Amino acid sequence: MQIILLTSFGGAFATYLLAKISSRLRDVCAVIVSGLLVVFVALLYNKTPAATLIPSFVGAPLTVRLNMLSWFFAIAIVVVGFLSIVFSFSYIKGKERADFYYLMMLLVNAGMIGIVLSADLLTFYIFWEIMSWGAFLLISYNRGPALRAGMKYIVMSVIGSVVMLAGILSLYAVYETFVFSELAGRIASASPAYSLACASMLCIAFAIKNAVVPLHTWLPDAHSEAPAPFSAVLSGILIKMGTYGLILVLYLFVGVKLFISPTYVWRGFRFVLLVLASITILVPSFIAVMQNDAKKVLAWSSIAQAGYIILGITFGTTLGFAAGMFHFLNHATFKALLFFGIGAVEYRTKTRDLNSLGGLLKRMPITFIAVLVGTCGLIGIPLTNGFVSKWLLYKTLILEGSPFLAFIALIGTWGTILYGYKLLHHVFLGQLPEKYKNVRKAPASMQFVLIILSLAVVVLGILPGIPLKLINTIAVSMGMDSMNINIFGIASETGALNTVNILSVLAAAGIVVWIILKASKKSTRISQEDNYAAGAAIPAERYSYTVDFYNPLYRMIRRYLRDIFDEFYYWIAGRVQAFSDMVRRLYVGDVGCYAMYILLFLSALILSQVWWRVW
Amino acid sequence: MVNPVLLLAVPLGLAFLTPLLAFISDRIARYVPVAGMLFNCVVSVSLIPSVLNRPIIVQTGGFAPPFGINLVAGPLGITLAAVIALVGLAVSVYGLAYVKEGATVKYHVLYLLLLTGATGVVLTGDIFNLFVFYEILCISSYALVAYSGDKNGVEAAVKYLIQGSIGSGLALIGIAILYGVFGTLNMADIARNIGSTGILNTTLFIALAFMVAGFGVEAAVFPLNAWLPDAHSSAPAPISAILSGIAIKVGIYVVVRIVFTVFGAPSMFMLLVVIGVVTLLIGEMSAFSQNNIKRMLAYSSVGQVGLIVFALGMATTGGISGGLFQIISHALAKSLLFLATGYMIYRSGSMEISSLQGMGKRMPLTCCAFTIGAFSLVGLPPFAGFPGKFMIVRAAIAQQQHLFTFLIALVLFGTIIEACYFFRIVQAAYFTGPREEPDAGKQRREEAPLFALAPMLGLLVFIIALGVYPEPVIRLLDSCAAELLNRFDYIKGVLG
Repeated sequence: MQIILLTSFGGAFATYLLAKISSRLRDVCAVIVSGLLVVFVALLYNKTPAATLIPSFVGAPLTVRLNMLSWFFAIAIVVVGFLSIVFSFSYIKGKERADFYYLMMLLVNAGMIGIVLSADLLTFYIFWEIMSWGAFLLISYNRGPALRAGMKYIVMSVIGSVVMLAGILSLYAVYETFVFSELAGRIASASPAYSLACASMLCIAFAIKNAVVPLHTWLPDAHSEAPAPFSAVLSGILIKMGTYGLILVLYLFVGVKLFISPTYVWRGFRFVLLVLASITILVPSFIAVMQNDAKKVLAWSSIAQAGYIILGITFGTTLGFAAGMFHFLNHATFKALLFFGIGAVEYRTKTRDLNSLGGLLKRMPITFIAVLVGTCGLIGIPLTNGFVSKWLLYKTLILEGSPFLAFIALIGTWGTILYGYKLLHHVFLGQLPEKYKNVRKAPASMQFVLIILSLAVVVLGILPGIPLKLINTIAVSMGMDSMNINIFGIASETGALNTVNILSVLAAAGIVVWIILKASKKSTRISQEDNYAAGAAIPAERYSYTVDFYNPLYRMIRRYLRDIFDEFYYWIAGRVQAFSDMVRRLYVGDVGCYAMYILLFLSALILSQVWWRVW
Repeated sequence: MVNPVLLLAVPLGLAFLTPLLAFISDRIARYVPVAGMLFNCVVSVSLIPSVLNRPIIVQTGGFAPPFGINLVAGPLGITLAAVIALVGLAVSVYGLAYVKEGATVKYHVLYLLLLTGATGVVLTGDIFNLFVFYEILCISSYALVAYSGDKNGVEAAVKYLIQGSIGSGLALIGIAILYGVFGTLNMADIARNIGSTGILNTTLFIALAFMVAGFGVEAAVFPLNAWLPDAHSSAPAPISAILSGIAIKVGIYVVVRIVFTVFGAPSMFMLLVVIGVVTLLIGEMSAFSQNNIKRMLAYSSVGQVGLIVFALGMATTGGISGGLFQIISHALAKSLLFLATGYMIYRSGSMEISSLQGMGKRMPLTCCAFTIGAFSLVGLPPFAGFPGKFMIVRAAIAQQQHLFTFLIALVLFGTIIEACYFFRIVQAAYFTGPREEPDAGKQRREEAPLFALAPMLGLLVFIIALGVYPEPVIRLLDSCAAELLNRFDYIKGVLG
């Protein structure tokens, strides 16, 4: 395990140093490092090593350990990390400061590996912070609007870490330990109010990283302004570190038994989390529909999808936990896939504006298929992995008595369909603008990444048993009931999931549709202008019929979907700034005044003693 | 074993030797401060193991304390002397490249005197002797602030001089009252006479108040710190570094030594805590809305002083060693920042933050040093600022009092503001300005000269080393904290 951390951190700096020699060497080194990490983590499957990094750091050891839960997260981190490095080859080539970019990509990756390997809160916090500032430097990389996005991110992130630090140290003040295994379950013995306070502080920190409404406002800007490969990492993995943290708090520290117990305190706490999760699903899904920037759509969608994950995890039953964990894995695959796909489009066309793109289907076929698969996964169409996790989630919610939450999740999925189709349509279908007539298909390294992830989406959709088995082991190790899992799905008393059945039904339906189409009259093809302008001659470049795609819907929902929290935070920031300006005026610049300050201080000190004897 | 008195005698002697050496060659004179600080560094570090066992008491003129002037080289004194020598060494190497114009010989003399004064203050055991060294420190820093000779520098120096003199005057009155009451100037002897009741009569309290207010001017706590932003921002870069890194820490040391050891006044601890938090908030908020980078760094020093005073005022082992750790990490990081900005300003010709754009390309190493210094100040791991802040927050939360919970929330709020303005500068240095072609930067590189880079990299190494493996230093600081907390051990150690 030290080897993993050494490879990840050392590799990052080695890459940076080698970059000074040649850029070819740098690329090779980056791939080797991230590839090695995949191998190392894969080799540690089902092993539970533990180690001490530094025997004593500010009075406590820094320790690492591996268990099934952290392995599950670690493998997702290293795989997405590896793919993002491969994708970066052509994406970053010829851009400025590429060496720095690779250093930070690998460093953030290393930080995340560190987070999931940590065995105590101190180590966890250290790696967490390394990840946070590394991400800040990467988000700011693109300049221009990215600066604002980076600032917003880091300010919220610092607020999160400060709150987390307070939470960690409050725990430490009572239990005198940072180690997870020693903290586990002991919170139950503290007074409910105290443990609730500690748990909420940690949860706030993780919710900021996980972009749970109302703490989400950094995410849309940061995700859309970051370089595309990093957006994939950010959305697929980095924000899920918050999920990992939430699992630690809820399932390990508090303990799942206590968390879902009907005590007054924890019931309220769980209720709040569930409500926030469902708001996180509902509102961002529709805000995503209204976006006209391809990456903004995906960014808002990330918030909404993270909501599904949180909903599953905070539900607290085995099935819910499995749904959340599986959706985490799926989201890491399909959202990374989508960001990579849109990144490839952006790389070739230099724009992300949905209204000026279109018709790239013939120009970038592989990318189209990848984005199609990704969108299907996002929506949750059968035979993709998104279907399985969403199926599990609905099933949990309906069967275990929260049909209303299930309804909200369903409406969220409706929004997902709308923006998923919008994305696909605006980029790949419709008219091809004149200026993109000569767009070439994505470079080979990008296509490689897209194909791998598309396959993953489909394979996980058809054979969900592979990850579910793992998740089951994790759930059992946290003290939950076991599920009955086979390679094609779940068998249980409440209704089985079997992808083979679904496959055959779909195949049958497909054949029926094909037969009907074959039998019916042949359709005639007309040109697009005919269709749109009823035969009138219009200059193709002047019109973009994709603008205001869902116009009636926009008009209906627009006024409800203001991001009031964003405005509120900006207001606070403005107030703080104004107040700071006022404070600064204390230093008037007149030395006589300053001398008076000194004497006033002295007289106040003496008088307070003479009159009231305070000191 | 070396005699700790050499820590004072050698730099003082060298300071007066410098003008003579300058007759032979200016080149030799330039290297004198480096030699002196290197010597101090080696000596003070080599003394650390032995003072951990028992403090070394040096008598002058063969008079046993409480008569005569004595030096008390305890863990705290020697640790601070080592920090002073270390930062002094880095800054003096930097000065070799930076200080080229004007009265360079006088600069080197004053610089050595300043550091001698600082070392003397932390080592002496006699309160009037402390005052003398304190004045040496202050007077040389007034002169050095005005070194560049421009209008801003002189104006700032005069303001500093006025406020500093008021402070010194008040402190002297306080010392005089003490001497009038007890007839002794030995700190241990005064402490023994005051006893341990914890309740001071009005006369003694007035002496204490005068001394806290007087020495507090150099310690730069609110509302006594109005000289600092002007002085630190107008001085030449190495002097800003030494003032922020060393001089104000010496002021804090004096206040703390007087409150903890001489008076043993637990009732004042709360005052320190409150003043600390107020200073922190005011400093950080003033820094937040600055556009001038050196002023911003100066206000940030005010904020950090607040944090340190807050930590020391908690008067627990954890709090004091956290505060002392913060003294060390801030000394390293802030001097690094001032050194780095020195050349950044020199190259861009302006102190505005907006003029930093594209610096990351022009001076990559300097900018990297600046970034790491800034990250360390904000308290991000794995840099030296993190263990310090962590220990302070831990100590405050471990108090388990509502008041401290509230105060620590304010402190953390200050940290957030601090993060905002430092991250803003980092962005300005790296990510603003026109986008450049990947290879164009190579021709436009204007890195700082080697003599300026070497000390920055040296400080950088210390910052990272302390951030990754702070444990030995923390153990050392724990015994420093014990020295402050166990007043009677100090008295017994000196008086026998």
